[in-house]
Amino acid sequence: MNILVFTKRVAATQEEELRITGEGQAVDLSKVPFKVNDWDNYSVEEAVRIVEKQGGAVTAISIGDAESDEVLRRAIAMGAKDGFLIDSGQVLHDPFARSELIRSFIDKEKVPFDIIFTGVQSEDDQFGAVGGILGAIMGLPYSSMVVGIDSVEKDHVVVRRELEGGLQERVKIATPCVLSIQSGINEPRYVSIMGIRKASKVERKVFKAADYAAGTAKIEVVKWVYPAKKGGATMLAGELADVCGQLLGILKEKGVCQ
Amino acid sequence: MSYALIVSEVRRGVFEERNLDSIGLGALLGKETVLLAPDGAYEINEKLVDTVVKVKSAEDVYLNPMNMGKILEQVFGARGKPDYILFTQSSSGTEAAAYTAGLYGFPVITDVSAYDKEAGVFLKSYYSDKVFGQFKASGGPAVLTVRSGSFREFAGEKAAAAKAETMEGAPAVDSRTFVEYVEEEKSDIDITKAEFLLSIGRGIGNQDEVASYEELAGVLRAVLSGSRPVIDKLWLPKARQVGTSGKTVKPKVYLAMGISGAFQHIAGMKDSDCIIAVNKDAEAPIFQYAHYGIIGDIHKVRDKLKEIAKA
Ligand SMILES: Cc1cc2nc3c(=O)[nH]c(=O)nc-3n(C[C@H](O)[C@H](O)[C@H](O)COP(=O)(O)OP(=O)(O)OC[C@H]3O[C@@H](n4cnc5c(N)ncnc54)[C@H](O)[C@@H]3O)c2cc1C
Repeated sequence: MNILVFTKRVAATQEEELRITGEGQAVDLSKVPFKVNDWDNYSVEEAVRIVEKQGGAVTAISIGDAESDEVLRRAIAMGAKDGFLIDSGQVLHDPFARSELIRSFIDKEKVPFDIIFTGVQSEDDQFGAVGGILGAIMGLPYSSMVVGIDSVEKDHVVVRRELEGGLQERVKIATPCVLSIQSGINEPRYVSIMGIRKASKVERKVFKAADYAAGTAKIEVVKWVYPAKKGGATMLAGELADVCGQLLGILKEKGVCQ
Repeated sequence: MSYALIVSEVRRGVFEERNLDSIGLGALLGKETVLLAPDGAYEINEKLVDTVVKVKSAEDVYLNPMNMGKILEQVFGARGKPDYILFTQSSSGTEAAAYTAGLYGFPVITDVSAYDKEAGVFLKSYYSDKVFGQFKASGGPAVLTVRSGSFREFAGEKAAAAKAETMEGAPAVDSRTFVEYVEEEKSDIDITKAEFLLSIGRGIGNQDEVASYEELAGVLRAVLSGSRPVIDKLWLPKARQVGTSGKTVKPKVYLAMGISGAFQHIAGMKDSDCIIAVNKDAEAPIFQYAHYGIIGDIHKVRDKLKEIAKA
């Protein structure tokens, strides 16, 4: 079983203040730390587990700039055999353009595969669309939101898809196929700095995005804006003891705490 | 012909409430609204759209993105291509939207939460609502997924009931087939019944911290719940997850510690009577939904609360 896994280096913005530059031209990420997309961490792990059990190889592929090599080394440290970087220079906001680039790359480089994994979404743009578009343009069956792979057979897989409110559905999908992996599907293994250092010895191939057909973007960002302010919270301010006292006061007033 | 096609979501015989947001956006777009739905005996308010097209397909066939591609081919054959195709922002809606866009080469924008009619742009969240991109689509009908809760207020009743049409279903593909539903495992804890939830997020840092938040919950007589990452990492059991893929809760007090306020989380707790958020990031989106906020370190707040409450 050969599995291609897409992995992306994303800005870790959860604890950062984001600044929009100029008249809304761009979001300034120059001071923001970067990390592997959480969803891709789960999908690399899932792919490696399948291959460990059934044989075959995992190839990790990243679209991005030279720094994305970092997430490839990480994937190799987790058990991927190869790491391919498709160097795109700039960010492709349109998921359609990304999917077309991937299809063109796989075709032209004749990358063999049985299953393609993507994360359900990347944390930065939250599009959640690359896997679905890719499945359709490659003429492959697709499932998103995969929270469990129950069986991997010669010509099909049986997976569980997450729906809403804790409900799941089991579906059977013919291979080759594209699956988008949801967080929580497994417990990703720990990757040590030593492991990543060892992984750097494995050669990663670099390809130029410009050598493949990416099509023209079908959507564009006209402007970046901050979220519209809603009511907003009443902020409790002061010394820590004071703030906590106020909080307990609110709990009492609401009748949930004596 | 100029129209907006609303691909509604019906699951286990229920016309999902989030369809109202697609209908609301459809109304804002100012086109004829055509609602697509599978055959079945569920209730729809037929005054909310101009036309209802029922497809003679079983629900699970209709919900399969690959079959939807075929169903849409028939719709386009009968009425021409629409200007917009609206799906719900949900597990099946997003899946079918992306697949449809790929099949037909249409532009796609997911998680649309606002529309600026004058500028003709759709707002889409980036970085868990810290910023939004104003998007424009070109080269074909725009495929959109609509964020639940964003547009339902624009879904108004029209004077007359919708025109009712039916359409033959398309033959089901066999490369992907539905097997069965899998229910969540039963649990002895029901966070939807709690009056007071203390909810912890990724901000607690690591698993070793969970016990001390459990202790705080004990001291305050709150029930402990969490955001998705806390459940994904197995720090708390699945039954305690708040959000779209977990439980929807409406306690008297929801105290969120170290939770940023992603839309999937907010959707599960925004109707709580009183929301209190503690977060070290003053820009955390959760402060937009909270009634009270504390900007600070959750561990310090936890320790101080325990100290005062125990005294
Ligand atoms: C299909 C789908 C379904 C989903 N369903 C759900 C769902 O049901 N429920 C859900 O919750 N999520 C769900 N998610 C995930 C969601 O998108 C977010 O990733 C998630 O809610 C983030 O959880 P969080 O706020 O705990 O973590 P983060 O976004 O990482 O936020 C952590 C917060 O903690 C703060 N913090 C860190 N350290 C401290 C400290 N010492 N003191 C104070 N504050 C601190 C940070 O400033 C940050 O705001 C879903 C996603 C997808 C794609």
